[in-house]
Amino acid sequence: MTAYIARRFAGMVVVMLLVAMIVFVIARVIPGDPAGVMLGSAATPDDVAALRHQLGLDRSLPTQFAIYLEQIASLDLGNSIFLNRPVLQAMGERAMLTTLLTLMAVGISVGIGVPVGILSAVKRGSVVDQAATAVSMLAASLPSFWVGLTLIEYLAVHAGWFPVAGYGDPGAGLADHLRHLVLPAIALGLPNSALLIRFTRTSMLDVLHEDYIRTARAKGLGARAVVFKHAFRNAMIPVLTVIGLTIATLIGGAIVTETVFGLPGIGNLIVSAVLRRDYPVIQGALLVVSGLYVLINLSVDLLYAAVDPRIRY
Amino acid sequence: MGFVGSLSTRALPALALGTFLIVAAHEARAQAKPTAIDIATIGEPGPLDPVTVTSDLVSIITQHVFETLYTFDSQWKAQPLLAAALPEITDGGKLYTITLRQGVHFQDGGTMAAVDVAASLQRWLKASPRGKLAAPSVDQVTAKDASTIEIKLKQPLAPLLALLALNNGAAAIMPKALTETTDPLKTYVGTGPYKIVEQKPDQYLRLVRFEQYSSPPGKPDGYAGERKALIDELRFVPVPNATTRVDGMLAAQYQFADSLPAEMAPRFKNTQDAQPVVVKPFGFPLMIFNQKTGPMTNVVLRQAAQAALAPEEMLLAAFGDPAFFAVEGSIYAKGTPFYDAASVKGYNQHDAKKAAALLKQAGYKGEPIRIMTSPQYDFLYKMSLVAQQNLQEAGFTVDLQVLDWATLLQKRGDDKAWEAFFTYHTFVPEPTLITIMNPSYPGWWNTPEKQAALSEFNTETDPAKRIEGWKKLQALFDTQVPAYKVGEFYNLAAINKKLTNYTPMPWPFFWNVKLGG
Amino acid sequence: MVVSLVVLVAIFGAALLAPWIAPYAPQKMSIAERLQPPSAHHWMGTDGFGRDVLTWVIFGARVSLAVGLMVVAVATVLGTAIGLVAGYVRRFDTPLMRLTDALMAFPDILLAIALLAGLGPSLFNVVLALGIVYTPRVARIVRGATLVLRELQFVEASEALGAADARIMLVHLLPNLISPLIVQASFIFAYSILTEAALSFLGAGVPPTTPTWGNMIAGAQQYMQQADWLILAPGLAIVLAVLSLQIVGDGLRDALDPKLRRLM
Repeated sequence: MTAYIARRFAGMVVVMLLVAMIVFVIARVIPGDPAGVMLGSAATPDDVAALRHQLGLDRSLPTQFAIYLEQIASLDLGNSIFLNRPVLQAMGERAMLTTLLTLMAVGISVGIGVPVGILSAVKRGSVVDQAATAVSMLAASLPSFWVGLTLIEYLAVHAGWFPVAGYGDPGAGLADHLRHLVLPAIALGLPNSALLIRFTRTSMLDVLHEDYIRTARAKGLGARAVVFKHAFRNAMIPVLTVIGLTIATLIGGAIVTETVFGLPGIGNLIVSAVLRRDYPVIQGALLVVSGLYVLINLSVDLLYAAVDPRIRY
Repeated sequence: MGFVGSLSTRALPALALGTFLIVAAHEARAQAKPTAIDIATIGEPGPLDPVTVTSDLVSIITQHVFETLYTFDSQWKAQPLLAAALPEITDGGKLYTITLRQGVHFQDGGTMAAVDVAASLQRWLKASPRGKLAAPSVDQVTAKDASTIEIKLKQPLAPLLALLALNNGAAAIMPKALTETTDPLKTYVGTGPYKIVEQKPDQYLRLVRFEQYSSPPGKPDGYAGERKALIDELRFVPVPNATTRVDGMLAAQYQFADSLPAEMAPRFKNTQDAQPVVVKPFGFPLMIFNQKTGPMTNVVLRQAAQAALAPEEMLLAAFGDPAFFAVEGSIYAKGTPFYDAASVKGYNQHDAKKAAALLKQAGYKGEPIRIMTSPQYDFLYKMSLVAQQNLQEAGFTVDLQVLDWATLLQKRGDDKAWEAFFTYHTFVPEPTLITIMNPSYPGWWNTPEKQAALSEFNTETDPAKRIEGWKKLQALFDTQVPAYKVGEFYNLAAINKKLTNYTPMPWPFFWNVKLGG
Repeated sequence: MVVSLVVLVAIFGAALLAPWIAPYAPQKMSIAERLQPPSAHHWMGTDGFGRDVLTWVIFGARVSLAVGLMVVAVATVLGTAIGLVAGYVRRFDTPLMRLTDALMAFPDILLAIALLAGLGPSLFNVVLALGIVYTPRVARIVRGATLVLRELQFVEASEALGAADARIMLVHLLPNLISPLIVQASFIFAYSILTEAALSFLGAGVPPTTPTWGNMIAGAQQYMQQADWLILAPGLAIVLAVLSLQIVGDGLRDALDPKLRRLM
């Protein structure tokens, strides 16, 4: 097991180096100019060139890459060109929102996906099962931004139950922040719950066909006991993996959702950084998000290995 | 409805006291719960330097924090702001003597002195795109004594007063210590009625009342006159999505929202909370041609494009409701001193045949015309689609390049990358301040005739003669076609009905605005 | 399943025949007739430029399906090549899989946005970006299947007979990968339609002058109150197409190989 963990960590370091390279290449081939965006419409090319020089944007690419690697090594992601603060600070200010949003969305998709999936598997072939399958297919086909726009229109603007957008007043308490995140979390979590319904159902069905369940049934255990004591626990191992991967997917989905709802989270930061050509932010945020993704994947795998004795290291 | 609820709770103490006690309530407000409004803006402003940054958003925000020597009244006449009076102009228009108001506090606790003003003006001449226009004519700026500034010019510069008064690329006054660098500011210390306390990018920017503020005297008129910070806190909230700004106004989540799509105005009919505000004059979209490189350097081709375009259709597609635009070719609209419709004969032809004939005359062989546009400014994108169709009907080969604004701004500096691009210009009271008058602005309108007419216009100080000079310049604009003015458009903003005493101006401001009552 | 196949055939048919069956030319503007509700002349109404919405939905099908198909092609070819080599040639396994791991470390849409910001928005670049985004998925499945297949007797037999690696991969392994690939392709097809729409919505996708369903929704957002047909028509088109693709994909998976589930 220790050897396995060590091997996985070594692999992770290699992956992260590759990620850093991809990130740098992507950020530098982006055309457009942060200096031009900052200075506004009356600026002449000379003004822009002067600011570019001051920002170090006119240095050679290899020089910029060397500076970049040096910075990463010292855990310094540089300063945002546009926001006038270190990239890590800018990300830190927004991390809470994206974390809360993701957790709420996971809550919603697990809260819907797992029970419905189990029910669907236990009552396989019934009307309930067919309805669940149909609904999950439909949910998976909905563009999340479309769901978001519809929710805003009906539940926020017309009904007035939720705020239209944003993250609340300065100094707003956690409760107020959470209220702002309800609709976004639904828009983000709903399509994802479809995936969980389908996966939980499949996983449960697989387990229900295993020999030990049949044995348990043969021993005369009640249906409820079989489902919860035996099948559920074993079926949850692969489902947990999917939930882990889901978290990573949701971080990506948050980009669209945060844009629709005007939420100042990490996703929003990345989209605006691309529009503003804020290279350090693009690089830093891509690096951190993908690093997180790798870490989540790794912990899911390790957890899986620890829980499931059938896995060979 | 939580926001409405919390707002009325805030306003309640004042209301409960009754009208006769309003003054008392006003005094007592220091103890009451602070009042605050949320202003939804088009996005994150970035560095808040009023001098080096010329984006409208930065001007809107920083005018509350930084002040200039002069400012404009509602008739766009310059009036003193930090200066005590209009400048004394002597030596045939070459010497400006400016007396400063006394006892004006900076937000860091210091007091404004002539050395601060001189240093601020010097930084402006070096670092502001507007200041750089004035710089070649300026000999020196000196602090004559503690409260007097002298600006010596090499030749008369008629637009100087307007340049000093404009709050975009502003000649903002700040402590001398801040003027050492021409880079965008990192700390913000001005003399304005509000000061910046917290900037959370993409979330909000908080301004609170500056208690030691020293207001200019006089009845409020446009940007001029007395300024009172009646609301304790202003929060500028970046909301890049225009639909969200409208929705947030309807739900009373924001108390003011700027730059709304004109087509959304009808949505305010059914609400008690908010009402639309139309700002006239506001601005004009421009299609700028590349006169340095490529096929459009041929003036006949530019005239062909001028003949082909259908501004009315372009404006209708862009703004929908005719209440929000005017089909107007004169760079200055009706009702302003520089209005001159007679000179723009080439406007609104929509004549594909004439355009085709001109194309033939120019020997045009289908060279692709690359037109840059950006969907980040929805109306520019929409009118560029119509322009594409107009030009294609006349026989142009159009390559419409839909770029994001950042890319467009970068590419327009490269004369080999494009033939035309779309942008818009906010109303400015002084023609020299219009970007295309600057020969180094992309498009590069730099003909000898124009430069001669421009310098004649700039050195002329007699207002009546200046109007004649402008007509000459505009006639050149019409025949040389450096750009196509599509028309006038008005800005749609929205304001919560609880806000009163609001004065619509192109750059919205919130001093003198009351919450409730 | 049958219904969704019919729907898919209908959408494909409409896409192929777009220039002949669409009632108007897609770029034809008629400013005077802007924002008209559905009528006999314009079955799905007109948009803010007076363009026919039905025409745009039909031409949009063309682009959305073309994007989907080309992304599938790019991702399948690249992914199969990478997966086969990684699964069969041991010394390439680790480097290739680390590269796919690195690519998979970016959330789909994030990688697509970043790539498109670099490449610039065009139909070709959207296909390229989404192709790169979905390649690792294919590569992983192909590698997994290859690892299983290479242990099978017929592969070992050909190895013993001295067949070249390339020959074994192409002749013996590839045909056995077709069923998982087809199933995966139908899902990637569906994802790319959704992701393309999201990219267009964010303004990072196919240029807005091109008729796509995503572009239509993005453009319709501001008219939601006055002209809801503008956002309904393309929205329904997306849901129908994606739903059908998913149902067909599910059906294929069950029909082709019940054991395939484990690989997916």
